[in-house]
Amino acid sequence: MPELTTDRVTKHFKNKIAVEQVSLCLREGVYGFLGANGAGKTTLLRMLCGVLKPSAGEIRCNGVPIAKLDGDYRYMLGYLPQDFGYYPDFTARRYLEYLASCKAIPKELAKDRVQEMLRLTGLEADQKSRLKTFSGGMLRRLGIAQALLNDPEILILDEPTSGLDPKERIRFRNIISSLSKSRIIVLSTHIVSDVEFIADEILLMKQGRIIRQGTVPEVTESINGKVWEYLASQEEALRINETQAVSNLKNEGEKVRLRFVSDNPPCEGALPVRPGLEDVYLYHFEEVSEHVEHLERRTL
Amino acid sequence: MLLNTLSSGKKQKKKRFLFYLGNGPNPFGTLPSEWRFPLDPDKKKQSLAAIGAEAGRKRIRRYPSLCEHIWNQMRFQSAAHWLLQGILLFGAMFLALFLRQESIGDLSRLSSCSVFFTFAGNLCFSQTVRLFSRHMAELEQTLYLNLKQMVCIRMLEAGLCDLVILALFLGITGGVNPLGIGVSLLYMLVPFLWSDILYLHMLTSLRGMLSSLRSLLLGLLCGAAALFPILWDSVYQPEYLIVWQLLAIAGILLLAAEIAGLLGKIEQGDYLTAAPY
Repeated sequence: MPELTTDRVTKHFKNKIAVEQVSLCLREGVYGFLGANGAGKTTLLRMLCGVLKPSAGEIRCNGVPIAKLDGDYRYMLGYLPQDFGYYPDFTARRYLEYLASCKAIPKELAKDRVQEMLRLTGLEADQKSRLKTFSGGMLRRLGIAQALLNDPEILILDEPTSGLDPKERIRFRNIISSLSKSRIIVLSTHIVSDVEFIADEILLMKQGRIIRQGTVPEVTESINGKVWEYLASQEEALRINETQAVSNLKNEGEKVRLRFVSDNPPCEGALPVRPGLEDVYLYHFEEVSEHVEHLERRTL
Repeated sequence: MLLNTLSSGKKQKKKRFLFYLGNGPNPFGTLPSEWRFPLDPDKKKQSLAAIGAEAGRKRIRRYPSLCEHIWNQMRFQSAAHWLLQGILLFGAMFLALFLRQESIGDLSRLSSCSVFFTFAGNLCFSQTVRLFSRHMAELEQTLYLNLKQMVCIRMLEAGLCDLVILALFLGITGGVNPLGIGVSLLYMLVPFLWSDILYLHMLTSLRGMLSSLRSLLLGLLCGAAALFPILWDSVYQPEYLIVWQLLAIAGILLLAAEIAGLLGKIEQGDYLTAAPY
């Protein structure tokens, strides 16, 4: 069972610090990195994969620096980059066979693994199509297939669900859940629902630092008493929305249920409610999700 | 005597053993049920499951040899790549046959070979750029056979192709050049080296902006550097030999530095990621 540790890992690019003094210990399970764009998630994941070298600090696998493990570390690694690379003139099958050969999977085993991954990601029917004809979602699924090809002990997925439709997203979540035994799965996202149900541990990243780490109940517990709800009339809801940061809106007959994330009660009559992971995200990143914006436009 | 004693002792033991067996339960038959340990099916199932789980956890690793890696890289090269290699080799052979004609002067023969060799070298090398295209570099760097190793394999392949062409041309020009094979090699190697340095530098600087076709065109453009000596015939005079030698040494050192720089950049990773954060 691998154990991945980062010891005060820092990465800076010229005068910008992307990751600062991150120390982690990752064991078997699913770890979800949540953070806004530019928080340093991708840089940290790239360092965990060995693509980027840390400016300071060290990353170890089972106590040995990954740079020293070299090929042995990459042997147990599966990685899906944010910008997934592919050769447009390759067919899906040929592409996976090529990567299988680069991952040192024996030829006789590779054939079965490729077939299995194509089936798992629902690309079996398109295996002979050239990648230049693939849609964004299909390419993402191919990316997931190649990451799982060598049955990796350490699986690192950067924004794995971007470009996937809701059905594919659920399918992906189920695949990850089924794979979480005896391996480390690290996935980064800014879509809360991607990690809410499958991650054993949530890591919130902001400005290159891990600001909070724990299970979903632990993380949500940290903002207990900071999430409020208020049932308002349509006019009142309009007025409150102009002065307060509303995180969610829900039509309930003639009235509108407003949800707020703030340290103090946003208005008289607002009641504290149990926080969810999206509330934690909003509390720390002060961003209203696209979903809420859409709701606002639709409701008001 | 001693042997007889020993053998008789063995026989006695054997007899005793057989006698013992004769009086005990039949070893070839089934044991009486009361002699057996009672079998716990649950415990057996658990033990087998534990053994199965342990066996499942074991990961048998296979480390392919360098030859296997090279073969795998070649196996997945595009048809266009092999077509280009074939065209270059056939082109070199036809040129070599053409230059065997006596009517062609030494200088023309040498310069033609030099120019072809330089262009061919750059075209062979242009295939390496494919590894960096479409964000593949980042993914390839995380594979067991990583990008750095892939680049080395591709360079090796391009280098072998260059060597074949060079050997072919040296066989023609070296034999007829009064200065010998060594000088012919120098005259061909210097334009090749400097053109390669220029090309490699451009590829490194323009990474991400180059498609396969663009890098091919850039290779042809950089190959034009080989045309410079032809413009000044006098540079092939023996008194300039020392300049050629110095240029060759400097070229080898600079090319080595350029390759080391490229591999170092791949190792550091900043070079591979289009948007670093």
